[in-house]
Amino acid sequence: MQLLVNALIAGSLAALIAGGLALVYGVLGIFNMALGQLVLIGGYATWWLYQVAGLPLIVSILGGLATGALCTWLTFEVFVNPFYRKHRFLPLVTTIAWSMILDGLILLLFEERPRSIISGLPEGFILWGAHISMQQCVLVSVTVCALCAFGYVFHCTSLGRRLRAVVQNTHASLSLGINAPLLYRAIFIMSGVFAAGGGIFIGIDQNLSPTLGFTYTIKAYAAIIAGGKGNVWGAVLCAYIIALLEQLLVGVHWFNAFYVPAGYQQTVALLFIIGILLLRPQGLFAHKVRSA
Amino acid sequence: MALLSLSDISFGIGQHQILRNIAFDVAEGDIVGLIGPNGSGKTTLFNVLSGFLKPSSGAILYREGDITALSAARRSRLGIGRVFQNFGIFRDMTLEENVLVALEALPKDRRIQLGDLRTVVGETLEMVGLSSHAKKKAGCLSGGQMRLLEIARTLKSGKELFLLDEPTAGVSPKMTGQVADLITALKREGKTVLIIEHDLPFIGSICDRVIVMDVGQIVLQGTPGEVKKSKELQEIYFGADPTT
Repeated sequence: MQLLVNALIAGSLAALIAGGLALVYGVLGIFNMALGQLVLIGGYATWWLYQVAGLPLIVSILGGLATGALCTWLTFEVFVNPFYRKHRFLPLVTTIAWSMILDGLILLLFEERPRSIISGLPEGFILWGAHISMQQCVLVSVTVCALCAFGYVFHCTSLGRRLRAVVQNTHASLSLGINAPLLYRAIFIMSGVFAAGGGIFIGIDQNLSPTLGFTYTIKAYAAIIAGGKGNVWGAVLCAYIIALLEQLLVGVHWFNAFYVPAGYQQTVALLFIIGILLLRPQGLFAHKVRSA
Repeated sequence: MALLSLSDISFGIGQHQILRNIAFDVAEGDIVGLIGPNGSGKTTLFNVLSGFLKPSSGAILYREGDITALSAARRSRLGIGRVFQNFGIFRDMTLEENVLVALEALPKDRRIQLGDLRTVVGETLEMVGLSSHAKKKAGCLSGGQMRLLEIARTLKSGKELFLLDEPTAGVSPKMTGQVADLITALKREGKTVLIIEHDLPFIGSICDRVIVMDVGQIVLQGTPGEVKKSKELQEIYFGADPTT
């Protein structure tokens, strides 16, 4: 039971980060390798505003999200927009460079030691033998609510229809008068807000560390590759599947003989990418449509 | 008065010149056919007209205003609609959503003129006999149905100039008739159509004027009857007659 709870928590975090990114990948077909660093920036900004500047938690969280949005906008304007039209792999290189710059800046500003956002929420409870903290309950609930709200906007509103149209056929969208370049920016910034939300989640539930960035980038990409290009809900579901596999790998007493060391947890996402690319390169939940 | 006017349009990629000094006018309410062998630059010309490609020289006037520098979305909002050769539909959206998203993208004043958008969606699908598929994903339709959906959607979204890129490609003979009916309906409504086609009898039956392109330039233009009789057309499509 504890494994499932841990998977639910880790999966919610990964789903939050991967959901927005799946849209970016679907629309622009590019890799933003600085995503993990944008996760950390959201977390560290909230930590600084709350723990150092002494602002209320809600204000700090909003500040963290705004900082994430601002940095993502900067990423788009400087490291993506001038390059992706020339070649779709160019942003892969430019955002790797940007991620290195951000890694250095984060290390310089916040130092190497772990940082936590102390939420001050009451202790947790035991449910069917699994220990669940109050803050984990809140974080998972907020994530699920955020994903549901996003789902509503995406599927039931005019804005959502336009977003889906741009994801599915950019040229046709433009020829209908949809302002695709504006939506590109909106989608990219939204992915940054989701990533910053993930960083705040980490800061509250675990510890923020400057070396974590790349790990989250890989997990998010494993989820979106497995989910199928541009399939947001496929990516969200795969984020939960990867989290469950990670927990099973290190949490199960294999053959009653040994535990897999926790360090190997990070290999699950990479093995998942390899497996999917070999067996079902279009993704587990690729759209099924008739070929014309 | 010419609705669309092209003067000296050229476009190239590197050293390769794809369009050379294209110039013609399209009068309001006309159906103009654009024909020529594969690689003659027809679709590139449509991409330039729709705003997906910027010409290296020349100007495009629409209702006497220069639109050469405008984006594809801006041109669409001015009333230029495009039907794509490889289907410009959203395959993972329902038929209703495919039409609705086009109506919602219209400028506010045009949306208000249309009234209840859901009613217009129903009328649009009814017009092409797709009402019973309204809740289905567009990707489940046949090629011909996709084409009808795309043309009907463009028609109902209040465009004035239609750029139709091979609307009968991959369409059964029965549906080709339906496509032709839709284009004729456009003419009845006073819309202007520029159409790329390889089906010469089809072009002859619906067009007021035909422009023939080869290696990126206009080689001939006239009425369908004039073009059909011309030796240049025979040479372009079937090669020069060795006996002459």
